[in-house]
Amino acid sequence: MALIITGLSKTYPNGVKALKNLSLTVGNCMFGLLGPNGAGKSTLMRTIATLQDPDAGEIQLDGVDVLKDKTAVRKLLGYLPQEFGVYPKISALAMLQHLAVMKGITNRTERNQMVDALLNQTNLWSARKKPLGTYSGGMKQRFGIAQALLANPKLIIVDEPTAGLDPAERNRFLNLLSGIGSDVTVILSTHIVEDVRELCPRMAIIANGELLLEGVPAETLDALKGKIWSKVVATDDELRALETNFHLLSTHLAGGLHEVRIYSESNPGDAFLPVASDLEDVYFLNLARHAKN
Amino acid sequence: MALFWEFFSFEIKLRLKSASTYVYFGIWFFISFLSIAAQDFLNPGNDKILLNGPFSTSGLYTILSFFGMLVMAAIFGSSILRDFQQNTYQLIFTKPITKFAYLGGRWAGSFVTALLCFSGMVIGEALGTLAPWADHVRIAPGHLGWYLHAFLAVPVVQIFFLGSLFFAVAALTRKLFVMYLQGVVVFLVYLIVNVIFAATGSLEHFWSAIFDPVGLRLLDSVTRYWTVVEKNTLQLPWSGIFLYNRLIWSSVGLLCLIAAYLLFPFSVEALTAGSRARKAARDAELEQTGGNRSLVAARLPVVHPSFSSGTSWSQWVSLTRLRINDILHEFPFWGIVGAMLVFVLVNGHFAGRRQENNVYPVTFQMLQVVEGGSALFFLIIATLYAGELVWRERDTQWAGIHDALPVRESIDWLSKLSALAVIELLLLTIVMASGIFSQTIAGYYHYELLQYFKQLYLITFPHILIFTLLALFLQTVIGNKFIAHGVVIGLFVLTPILVTHGWENTLYLFGSTPDYTYSDMNGYGHFVPAIFWSIVYWLSISAFLGVVSIALAARGADDSWASRFRLAGRRAPRLVPVAACFLLVAIGSGCWFFYNAHVINEYLNSKAQREIQARYERDFKKYENLPQPKIIAVDANIDIFPERRAFSGTGHFVLENKTPGPISQIHILNREQSVTNVHFDRPFHKVSSSPRDLYTIYSLEQPLAPGEKLNLNFNVGRTPHGFMDGNERPELAYSGTFFDAGYFPAIGYDARFELTDPRRRRELHLGPVSELPHRGDPLGSRTNLFSQDADWISFRTVVSTADDQIALAPGYLQRDWHSDGRHYYEYDMGDVKIENFFAYVSARYHLKQDVYQGVSGPVNIEVYSAPAHPYDVDDMIASSKAGLAYYEKNFSPFQFRQFRILEFPRYRLFAQSFPNTVPFSEFGFVGRVIDPQKDIDLTYFVTAHELAHQWWGHQLVGGRVEGSNMLSESLAEYSALRVMQKKYGDDQMRKFLKHELDGYLRGRAAESRHEPPLVLVQREPYVWYQKGSLVLYGLSDYIGEDKLNLALRNFLLQYRYANATGEQSGLYPDTRQFVAALRAQTPPELQYYITDAFESIVLYDNKALSATVSEAPNKKYKVTLTVQARKLKSDGNGVETPMPMNDFIDVGVFTGKKDHEKVLYLKKEKFTAEKQTFEIMVDEMPTRAGIDPQNKLIDRDADDNTMDATKR
Repeated sequence: MALIITGLSKTYPNGVKALKNLSLTVGNCMFGLLGPNGAGKSTLMRTIATLQDPDAGEIQLDGVDVLKDKTAVRKLLGYLPQEFGVYPKISALAMLQHLAVMKGITNRTERNQMVDALLNQTNLWSARKKPLGTYSGGMKQRFGIAQALLANPKLIIVDEPTAGLDPAERNRFLNLLSGIGSDVTVILSTHIVEDVRELCPRMAIIANGELLLEGVPAETLDALKGKIWSKVVATDDELRALETNFHLLSTHLAGGLHEVRIYSESNPGDAFLPVASDLEDVYFLNLARHAKN
Repeated sequence: MALFWEFFSFEIKLRLKSASTYVYFGIWFFISFLSIAAQDFLNPGNDKILLNGPFSTSGLYTILSFFGMLVMAAIFGSSILRDFQQNTYQLIFTKPITKFAYLGGRWAGSFVTALLCFSGMVIGEALGTLAPWADHVRIAPGHLGWYLHAFLAVPVVQIFFLGSLFFAVAALTRKLFVMYLQGVVVFLVYLIVNVIFAATGSLEHFWSAIFDPVGLRLLDSVTRYWTVVEKNTLQLPWSGIFLYNRLIWSSVGLLCLIAAYLLFPFSVEALTAGSRARKAARDAELEQTGGNRSLVAARLPVVHPSFSSGTSWSQWVSLTRLRINDILHEFPFWGIVGAMLVFVLVNGHFAGRRQENNVYPVTFQMLQVVEGGSALFFLIIATLYAGELVWRERDTQWAGIHDALPVRESIDWLSKLSALAVIELLLLTIVMASGIFSQTIAGYYHYELLQYFKQLYLITFPHILIFTLLALFLQTVIGNKFIAHGVVIGLFVLTPILVTHGWENTLYLFGSTPDYTYSDMNGYGHFVPAIFWSIVYWLSISAFLGVVSIALAARGADDSWASRFRLAGRRAPRLVPVAACFLLVAIGSGCWFFYNAHVINEYLNSKAQREIQARYERDFKKYENLPQPKIIAVDANIDIFPERRAFSGTGHFVLENKTPGPISQIHILNREQSVTNVHFDRPFHKVSSSPRDLYTIYSLEQPLAPGEKLNLNFNVGRTPHGFMDGNERPELAYSGTFFDAGYFPAIGYDARFELTDPRRRRELHLGPVSELPHRGDPLGSRTNLFSQDADWISFRTVVSTADDQIALAPGYLQRDWHSDGRHYYEYDMGDVKIENFFAYVSARYHLKQDVYQGVSGPVNIEVYSAPAHPYDVDDMIASSKAGLAYYEKNFSPFQFRQFRILEFPRYRLFAQSFPNTVPFSEFGFVGRVIDPQKDIDLTYFVTAHELAHQWWGHQLVGGRVEGSNMLSESLAEYSALRVMQKKYGDDQMRKFLKHELDGYLRGRAAESRHEPPLVLVQREPYVWYQKGSLVLYGLSDYIGEDKLNLALRNFLLQYRYANATGEQSGLYPDTRQFVAALRAQTPPELQYYITDAFESIVLYDNKALSATVSEAPNKKYKVTLTVQARKLKSDGNGVETPMPMNDFIDVGVFTGKKDHEKVLYLKKEKFTAEKQTFEIMVDEMPTRAGIDPQNKLIDRDADDNTMDATKR
């Protein structure tokens, strides 16, 4: 399975340019899509999920024109939107059974097996007969994951899947995703850099509807080796001083102190220590470069 | 106070920014405006009542306030709920505010907003009166005071009371659905209570009015007997019942406010404690049950999705099931179903009950009420849930997942339709079960499941589908659920308005079907093709709309029109053929319908029919007094073909010139377009003929000399072709053909074909309808009241019909024979002359015979009933016998040897007395007396009434002058009352007369011309029936039954069979001779009663003022009773002037409870003063006392005539 996106553009009636001539190729793997809020991630996902037509550009999925032959895509698709609601009075079990039929699992035995497996995997088994309206945010999210994985989809699009999951469930979900068969394209959109680092052999960063970077997380990290420097400061005044002198990638609070990270080809001095780069640095660096342009 | 003001002004500002405020205002404004400016938009009843008069205004405001209940719920409820829906309560209640400021400000703001919205009524009405196109004859300009008074009296109080109630409920429950539900519940409960009142025709008007929270009953009670003048001048009085009612409900409003203030918990914790704790507990419970699970994810099983046509089917089933499940889990759905069930069962319980006379809850009767009661609910469900289903995925944000599923739009859309269809079928089944249940409870076990099935599943269900499809279409096309609801409701409202304005065509009234009537004699009979084709036509049109909706159904995130058209383009290849199919069926069935209703039949809407009448009057009224010969003999051969609803035949009239001069022109009126081939026995030619051969003038080459006779031959018949868009002739039926002399030629202009409704006449620029001639008018007095083209005739006929039916006409059966698979009957009246008033009837009958030994020989009593209706046959025979006995004893011998009652289909609802032959509509054959002590036996009464017409009408007939109608109708009514009294007793009689009194007073309140005194009555049934029976019964109470009957007998014997002999038409009697006959038997001191009751319009205002009891020696009791006696004379418009009192009126003392009194003392006392006190000794402890206690006199407030006697 390969998804080839070429020259995708979308402008909303209110003038917001969600996608600007975006091209991207996604192979048979877990593909992480990183980007800040409003970057156009969800628009891109919806477009691939056949819910929206772009103004220009095309999308090919193994030779299928996604924009024209939506039915063919829908038969292969597992989609978890960023935000979704449920029929509040219907139980998870009934809903999954229903969705399984909708996704063409007409064999009752297969359907039961799949639904039961998913209910177990998403830890909804004991609550399967409860109406979805009574589910907490995390349970609802797990239900969303379960429905996206019904029917062995060949193209899985998950938009912010780990939002609202506790750490254990998040790990379990990532395990579940990584265990899915090899001939599957998974696009995972997120703003949580950790998700991508843990899961995705390939990734892309988009912002303002444009592709900033596409590559293998490890390679992008390599490029930054030795160029990330860190310093701990105690007061806001010190932080402000640093902000004026350096381009800060990020600050974290650690024990009430500000840990500041910067990008520098060479040693910036001023008590900065070299640190190992991580994916978050890649992310912030790209966003910062993009903002400058 | 500053805080209060803060909340108050915030509320007002918010409301002024909200579109809904202006929409509400606009609705009231336009309805009010149109009710004045557009004729017939809301009908205040009578033409003489001012459109903007106080009565119309109060009525309008009451109804608008009733429907406005939902608006009040929305305004008052949302002022509180807003905070809980948007979760702003957390912000508000953590601020230092006071309960009074919060609740008070919100309430006051809502109150002012509601007043502003409802003020649209006043402004709309005021501006409506200025519209130049309005009917200014019925508008009194410049009466803002009327509107303001009514506004204060009704909407303001309603807003205060209901608004506070809704506010309190919202404040104390803080639930959105409760808010909607309370409006609906109050609304429905009220409708149900009203149904009960309407169904039973209860005469109780006091408590029901006082405790009426809406005001419809209150208004009815206060204005029930107001005459036109009063309705146009009197405002709702701030006294009596009205005041009590307003006070009671205002206090309820106040109590609600106090309750809201005291019980509203004023802290965030208290406000949410219940629900939050519950939710937390639930979440914890759900989350905990994980157990220890391996962190290693298992592999998911492998499945094999397939997408075949079988999958589409499974998808459709699964989606349908999901949607049904979803609806069945809805609380509001069950709320509506529950309300429907209650409504239907209440309706079912009262099926067949009306005004203390009952009919069996036969299936058509039951269906009528249960289906009629539930129709609104079917449509509510269809409209509401069409909107819910179309918007469900987007409203719940499920669309993101749903729209990306591999399912075709058509499957998805069809699942919405099928889910609604299944839900509606469920409701229909509930209705059917309720009907059967109600029949069982009522002790009627003849279940006609097939009829239920046909009506509910074959007729009603397609109609629901049609509207469901429309609603789905509108919801799809209109981008807003609520606007689409509005459009659907608008269509419901629009249809009846269009119909009243003459837009009656089935082909453009969405989803309509021509009117039809089920009859136990015919089933759906000849209505079937019109029902079938109209359903096919509208179903295919709405199915076409359905296909369009599939094409335009939104899918995906982008629901702009551009993208929807793009999607539609892609879906088109599959959908166009289907759409074309439906379109073809629609066009085909539409053409077929058009061909039937407009090409092979003439299509006339009611306006066009009125225009024909108007044209007839304009063109031919001038011939009204033209001397014409009279029919003296009728001989006809009629063949009825019931299987084709047709008849044809030849007729022969003998005409005689009974005028003193020669006649050269003969005018023939052919009202029913049934007469052709008119020939006279001497040379003649046609002078002119009007369209449809309605009125044709023939000229005889040689004038008909006085006394000369002339033979007139003609063909007569009707053969319907295809079907019509309503207006099918009720006279023709597969079983139950019944047509009368109206289908035969009428000689000369007949004024009875003129339009009588003053409004319609004005519309068509006709002057006021002509009055009947005065008594003594030379021509009128020589004309028979019932048939102006004949005095008395001899009658003979041969009639044939299908072999399985019996054909009847007046006359004695001479012979009957079978020929060519048909059954022939020859009837002949022989030498006995009858009026020119005959009928032909044919149906499949069951016959029951009996014989009554009359004074001049045996009389055969025969009842021909539909086999399904055996119930009342014996009752009819009993009534016939009792009537014959009483009438022969008191009046004169019966002139015929037979008396026959024939059932005819309920397309028409009456019984009519032809010579020795009485066709009686189906309703009389399903009459039912459950409790002889309570129920009025209408069948018995009507039978006796029609039998009495054999005397009053067929022996004695008046001239065509004012008053003559009472000689037949009032006397028949009185005679029947006597027959009924003999069987059911005096108490029943009094109960019956109470209804007659109510009927008379309401009739005169609705009079659109002017009320005449009884002996001058023209075309006012409430005078000749209700007032007639009241005053005749009253007279018999004064002079005695014997004396009155003697007067009637003398009158009858002197004047019966007037004009039955003689060369020239002589004088018919009129009410002057009748009054003289009454006066001859009335003592001088009571002559005033005849003047008052018969020759004037006199109303009493009698009242008990005080009644006390004290014990007297010898175990006696002394009652001291003070009463008021007042008498008023009214003119035809209801303007009253006091009259001096010199009357005899009953004074009575009773024991027992109200309405179950036993007489201890009853005596007519002479009243000369308005107030009089009596001391009466009785033997038992009395409970009640009063003046005219049994309501023998006409008194608008009959209840205050008696009162409880208090012990001193």
